[in-house]
Order: sequence, then C-alpha cells, then structure tokens
Amino acid sequence: MQDISKIRNFSIVAHIDHGKSTLADRLLEMCGAVAERDMEDQLLDNMELERERGITIKARAVRLSYTASDGETYALNLIDTPGHVDFNYEVSRSLVACEGALLVVDASQGIEAQTLANTYLAIDAGLEVLPVINKIDLPAADPDRVAHEIEDVIGIPALDAPRVSAKTGLGMEAVPEYIVNNIPAPTGDPSAPLRCLIFDSQYDPYKGVIVYLRVTDGTLRTGDRVLMMQSGAEYDVVECGVLGARNLVPTGELGPGEVGYLTASIKNVRDCEVGDTVTHADMPAPEALPGYRKVQSMVFSGVYPADGAKYPDLRDALEKLRLNDASLTFEPESSAALGFGFRCGFLGLLHMEVIQERLEREFSLDLITTAPSVSYNIHLTDGTEKMIQNPLDFPDGTTLDYAEEPFVKASIISPPEYTGAIMELCQERRGVYRDMTYLDATRVELHYDLPLGEIIYDFFDALKSRTRGYASLDYEISDFRKSDLVKLDILLNGDIIDALSFIVHKDKAYPRARKICEKLKDNIPRQLFEIPVQAAIGGKIIARETVKALRKDVLAKCYGGDITRKKKLLEKQKEGKKRMRTFGTVEVPQEAFMAVLKLDED
Amino acid sequence: MRTDATRRSGPGAPLGLYIHIPFCRRKCAYCDFYSLERADDAALMDRYLAALLRQMEETSVTIADPVDSVYIGGGTPTVFGADRLAALLELISRRFELTKRAEITCEANPESSDKKLLKRLRKAGVNRVSFGVQSACDAELKALGRLHDFEGAKAAVEAARSAGIENISIDLMYGIEGQTQESWARTLGAAAALEPRHISAYGLKVEPGTPLARRAGVGEVFLPSDDAQADMYETACRVLALAGYRHYEISNWAKPGYESRHNLRYWRLEPYCGFGAAAHSDCFGVRSAAPRDIMRYIEAVESGGEVFEDYDRIPDSERAFEYVMLGLRTSDGISKRRLTNVYRLDPDSAKDELEALAQAGLVEDLPDSVRLTEKGFLLSNTLILRIFDSLKPIRSPFAKEQR
Repeated sequence: MQDISKIRNFSIVAHIDHGKSTLADRLLEMCGAVAERDMEDQLLDNMELERERGITIKARAVRLSYTASDGETYALNLIDTPGHVDFNYEVSRSLVACEGALLVVDASQGIEAQTLANTYLAIDAGLEVLPVINKIDLPAADPDRVAHEIEDVIGIPALDAPRVSAKTGLGMEAVPEYIVNNIPAPTGDPSAPLRCLIFDSQYDPYKGVIVYLRVTDGTLRTGDRVLMMQSGAEYDVVECGVLGARNLVPTGELGPGEVGYLTASIKNVRDCEVGDTVTHADMPAPEALPGYRKVQSMVFSGVYPADGAKYPDLRDALEKLRLNDASLTFEPESSAALGFGFRCGFLGLLHMEVIQERLEREFSLDLITTAPSVSYNIHLTDGTEKMIQNPLDFPDGTTLDYAEEPFVKASIISPPEYTGAIMELCQERRGVYRDMTYLDATRVELHYDLPLGEIIYDFFDALKSRTRGYASLDYEISDFRKSDLVKLDILLNGDIIDALSFIVHKDKAYPRARKICEKLKDNIPRQLFEIPVQAAIGGKIIARETVKALRKDVLAKCYGGDITRKKKLLEKQKEGKKRMRTFGTVEVPQEAFMAVLKLDED
Repeated sequence: MRTDATRRSGPGAPLGLYIHIPFCRRKCAYCDFYSLERADDAALMDRYLAALLRQMEETSVTIADPVDSVYIGGGTPTVFGADRLAALLELISRRFELTKRAEITCEANPESSDKKLLKRLRKAGVNRVSFGVQSACDAELKALGRLHDFEGAKAAVEAARSAGIENISIDLMYGIEGQTQESWARTLGAAAALEPRHISAYGLKVEPGTPLARRAGVGEVFLPSDDAQADMYETACRVLALAGYRHYEISNWAKPGYESRHNLRYWRLEPYCGFGAAAHSDCFGVRSAAPRDIMRYIEAVESGGEVFEDYDRIPDSERAFEYVMLGLRTSDGISKRRLTNVYRLDPDSAKDELEALAQAGLVEDLPDSVRLTEKGFLLSNTLILRIFDSLKPIRSPFAKEQR
C-alpha cells in the first residue's frame, strides 16, 4: 500500500487559456507517465470536442510518480479541471478530493475573472493554493507585476512562486518539488471503516461503470463487498487501482489518501452517483462523507430528435452522458411542433452546446433544439407560485400575478479603456450597476447584477467583441427578482409553433420579435404558398415578415440524355425535404431553429 | 401482360432514332452537351462518320420496329457538312423502316446554314430544322458566345423556307446576362414574327463545369434573378399564346399539329435508340449511354466491342416515377388509366393533395388525367415530388379477402 506521507493530491485551477492543460502535459512528461513518443498536446483532454475547442470539459485524474530531491518517491495525483464558468461544478467536485491546488496565472494577462472564481472555490474547500506564473517566455510577460498582483488581489504569497513556461519547459523542474514541499500529505486511518468519495464516474461498455474515488479512511481491496451509502446499492469490487495517463492500472488495493478507481460490473449509473460515499457492506462507516451540493441547472432547452423514431436513442444517449456528467438533467416533454423530446437542464450555454455536440457526434443523432430559457418563478393570481422551465407553461395574462426571473452577480475584469463599452453592454442587458474597483493601474473589476436570461444567449461573445477579447467574465446565481416578462409566440402561416415560443422582458419584446421574424424569413426556403411569419404576445401580432411564394423550381430541359441525371436531381431535392420539419403546410429546415438561437448583436 | 411502352418490341411500336454530332465551331459558354471545337478536323469527322454508319448498320439488324422520328442533334450538326449528314440519312432510309410521315429533324446554327446546305438536307429527307436563335438582341448573343447575330438567324430561317423546309423550330433563351424584361419581350415578338411552326424557350441554367459556371462562381456574371426569370417565363406564355402557339411542354410551344414528335417520345417514355458519342438509348426496358468521349466511342465501334457503357435496367417502380416526372412536363399530363393499369398507383389516393394544389392554381385534376397549369410548370420540381409522394399503390383485391 502507498505510504500516506508520500501522497500529494492536487488540482490545477486557472482562467481559460492560461496554460493549465499544457502545464499538466509537461508534468506528465517529467514524471515519465507517458513515453515521449506517445506525448501529444492536451493529453488529459481526450474528448474530441475538448481538443477541437482547446478547452477542458471533464475533470480527469492521473497519478504521477516523482522522485524528489530527498530521494523519496512520491505519488502525485493530479486532477485536471475545466476553467470555464459553466463547469465550476466540475471544479468544486474535484477540489474535494485534493489537499492543494496549483493556481496557474498567465505572466502577461495577470488575474482574470475566472482566476478569482476558481481560487475562491479552492480556498473555500480548505485547499493550500500555490501560485505558478506561466508563459514567462512571452515578450509581454511581466512576472513581477503578476506576482504582486496575486499577493495584493488574492492575498496569498506569490513572490517565491515558480516562474515557468509550460510550453518550452523552462523552469518546470521546480514545480514537482514545490508540490511535494508545500502541499500537505493526506491524513487517514488505514484500519478505520472504509469511506471513499465518488468524484466522478464513466461508463465503459466492457467494465460497466468506472467509479473514480478518493479514499479518505480505511482500505479498499479487490473482492470487497461495498455499499454505496446514499443509493444503498451493493457490489463486489472486480478491480481497483490507480489512474495512469492513458489507462487504468490495477493495484488490488487503495489506502487512505489515495485517488483511484473501482469497477464492479455496475450497470446502473444511478447506483453510484457522484458525491456518494463507498463503504464496506459488512462494516459500514457510521457516517457518510459530506457529499456535493446538488448542482443547479441554469439553462433549459427542449432537445428533440430530428427523426421522431430516434426518441429512444436520444433517451439512451442522454442517460449515458449523465453517467459522467452529473450536472445534466433531463425529463421527457412533448411539443406539438416537434413531437417527443426532453427538456434538458444545463449549467450554461457552453455546457448546452457541448452536450448537443456530444449527442450528435458520439451518438450520431440529428437534433432540433428549442431556444434556451432560464427558470422563472411564476406567481399566480390565486396566490400560488410555481417554477417553470418551459415557455409553454407561462400563464396567460388573466391568471398571472407577476413573474420573477433569476439574477446573477457578475464580475467583469478588463483594461480600464473598455469600461464605457462594458457599462453600455450591461445597460442594454438590463444590468444593475454595483461597484467598480481598480485591481491595479491596468485592470478594473466591475460588478453588475444581471438577469441570467440576458446573458445566456450571446453576452460573453458581445463582451469579448466590445473589449477586443480583453475582458473576462465570471458570475454566480444570486436571487430571483420581479420582472415585467411576457411570452412571445411565433406563428408560421397563422399557427403557433410552440417550439419557438420564449419568455422575454417586455421592453425587449419588440426588437427581439422583429429580429426573429427576419431570421426566420431568411432561413425558411420559399415554398408553394406564401408564408406569413408573425410574432405575437397574447394573441396580439407585434411583428410580421412574409416568406414569398416560390415562383420558379423547374428543370428547363429534359430530353433523352438528361432523364437519369434529372431523376437524381429530384431525388436529392427529396432527401433535402426529409431533413425539414413540417408544420401544417410549412416546411422548416433545422437551420431555421438554429438561426433563432443565434441572434447576434448585429 | 402489362408492360411499359419502352419494353415493347416487334412491329407496331414505332421507334425514334437520335444521332449525336459532337462538333462545334465554338462552344457556347453555358453549354454542357458533349461537343468538341474541331469543326475543321475533316479526318476526325470522317472517322466518326464511319463509326456512326457501322453502329447504325449493326443495330439495324436487331430492330424490326418502324421508325417514325429521327433527330440529328449536337453539337452543331450543320458543321458536320451536308455530305456526311446525307450519308447518315441514306443509311437510315436503307436499313430502317421509316414510316411515310416520319419526322426527320436536324439541329442547325444560323452561321453554318446556307441555302445550299439546307437544300441538300431537304433532298436527303430532312423535313424539320431546329435553329439555335436564342435571342433577337445582338448584345445578348455576344454574351452567350454565339457566332451569329439576329439578322443571320432571320436569313437562315428564310433560307430553310426557300429550300423547301416549312417545319422550322427556333430555340430561345431567357435568363441571359444583361437581359431585361423588355429585351426578352422584344425577342419573343421578333421570333413570332418569323412565324416558325415551333418555338422552344429555355431558362438559362448554370451547369457545373461550364465556363459560365466558373465565371458565375467568381462573381463575374450577374444573371437575372429567379423572380425575374419567372416574369420572363410568364411573358413567354402570354406572348406566344397570342401568336397562336400551344404550350405543350414546360419549355416548348407549337402551332397545332407541329409538336415535336421526337421530343414527345422522351416525355411519354416511348422507345428511342441513340447513335454516336454521349448518345443515350431507352429501348427494351434498358436505358444506356455511349461514352462521352469521341475516341473511346470510335474505338469501341471499330473493335467491334460493346459501345454502351452505362446500362440501366429500370425497374417498374422507377418507371412510375419517371412517368410522373416526364408526363407532368407536358400539357397532356399523366393519365389516370395508365397510373392504374401500368404502374398500379391509385389516383384517388392523391385526391386531397391534388385538390389543395388545384386550389392554388397549380394543377388541374381532370376526370382522366392530372396536369400542371402554366403556373404549375414553373414549379414542376416541387409538384412532381408532391404528387408522386401522395400516390399510393393500389391495394390488391386478394389482400382484402384475406382480412
């Protein structure tokens, strides 16, 4: 069993793009976790999507073996975490399995909004936070300034922090030593009743669910009969071990402080949900470990298969994804326009995009998604209240007393020259100004209260474009506030298309309605009949466009040599139609739904 | 046994012959037919002629059907020269059973059709000439890369008449770069004033691989919009109807009795036999195509090997689609009796759809047939798909008993 004093469990937190995954790659290489020839960038981000977008979505763990200057060999368990605000939940989950965290800060960018947010998450979790100043090879690097900034803004010592370039490897040799010397070893009694915290899980078609866990007390061995304290499920451990860079390494046992995995032919992922405690069935621990606070879905959207027959496939795919993404929620719903589907809850818009892309890529599903919505708290005239996630549940004027919408506390860090542009943007999005502080001469932090509904669409993109990419954003949900909200319906050829309805602030309803009608007009192909595209509030039309009737769709010439070719052309046209949804007599292509989701600023 | 017209063989079911002449003095920018700019290559033409004669001769042995239409197309058949064309027609009259009133068409371009040549053709049996006139506006002719002006076209029509060929057809084109509603109306008027028996008006289509497609792809050409082309089409319908032409196919108008018998074959799924490079055939239930390469074609014939490269035995279910696709191009439309008896499709099953389309003025649902209106012609792609999709197979009477 691994000597507990030679274990260091740590994670890396950073703002997106500050080089977290590169630093992890370098550590893996230095500790010989991967042979040089097998080395590839973003090694821990093995999801196709993560590599493509250059982001970390899933937390991932790996064990490194490091021989320190004291001659001892240490087991360093690195848990890589996402940087994007949408995935804070993944971060906080991983942090509970650690005693320390490396805080990676870009030597030219300095502290940004997510740096602060993730650092506070780590400090709140009681972790030792160790700054590392990265990218010192860049011409604009100013490590001294950044070190002072870390001390001033976060209040942790940073002058002795390693200054490295993870990309070139410069200064990296100091990092593992720094970890060994500064992160405390875990504590725990190997003979106490077993308690392990499940911090992640993943479905494997051969082994069943792979449970990632951190042992707090006791010893877990292959063959043990274990009990999941929350779900009550019992299993015999088939395999347990530690986590290699590319594969699972069975060790037969895991002692206190260790980070590893177990498999037990678990078919049902709900038997071993993240946050549950694993103990021995015949000698259960008297008390479970504190789990995780249940994650709150913030953004909701209807997800429907483009082909109605694929509904069961979509359900299976969602269940599989939930296995390793506990923050995804979904429940069945149906729409007159789209048939049967699911109302899914996401952490944010990026999370929503990621889930949709994974469904389409990993499960080859063609999806239609409805406009994202937040949760609204509806107060009815009869004094009752209810939370709704689907715009269709929005009551009509006679039964609605008032509605409340969620607000976030947003923190935006930016160079001061963009303050005006940011304030203007927040104003447009119905933001309430709180305060503004200068972090130093070159950066200012603004606090705003903003309606969540206003930032889930394109706020981040707009912020980036108005500040030339310099501003960073972080936010957390604060409270529900009374708002003047209305439901906007979209009608095609006089029929309400329920999948296109959404809830919007009254002052925004007109411009939004106009824009949506325009977008639909541009994205619905002309058809045999003229199609009125209308937007309405409670039966009153407030915007209208017309898709003119198609006038010309003809093959002018068709003689002997053309027949086969023309037949193929028509078949192709027919295939194209299959990918459209028919509402009454109107055919709507999937792109039209997507276009409504992407209402840009322009 | 119920069969397709294309499957019929034996005497009684007349056949059409198509001969492809893949030579042009210059290729037009929009054209994607198979043709070579080798109008001066007499040696190649002679070799091609020999191959054509041999292919026709060999084919004639297997065909007992009478022939009631011959169509020499291209390319520009007239650049092939009167002697070679006459040789082809001589062989046809000798080896095939031409009916008395067979329609024998030769395509021609104004600049390569003088009276002498037309007289020779008339003598060799040609009784119909189809001129590529395209436009009455010289600027548009230039934009298309044509070698003649409108005066030349007028002269060619006169020459054909004085050569004794009364059945003249002219091709027009709308949707040309720089063309306006006014210039198109002028072209239609000028064309009608020539009093041809038959007029074809084609919307210019940018075909992939043509010089026009390349220029359009890089934004060098600005063609009239679809809506402008639709207006032009409607103008053609109006003007030509007033001039006494009957609109008998999407792009074809004729004085009564002068509909092109040969071209109607294609739309009625009647059999035809093609000769030459890139020529297609559809007879005995098989559609086939010769190589789109003159040397491959010549070598195939000379070696005594198989000329046709693509053989496509069309199953009945596909024939049904072809029947709807092609039949709806004509003013006769599709026959309900033929749908029922030949293709086992139930016209009643499309009733609701037809009614909706009729209400929109796109379709006429008649007791014996279904056809498109002129407005419907312009939307025929969509309508063909919708009408075919709504046609359900006839339920077998046995299936009923079993239930």
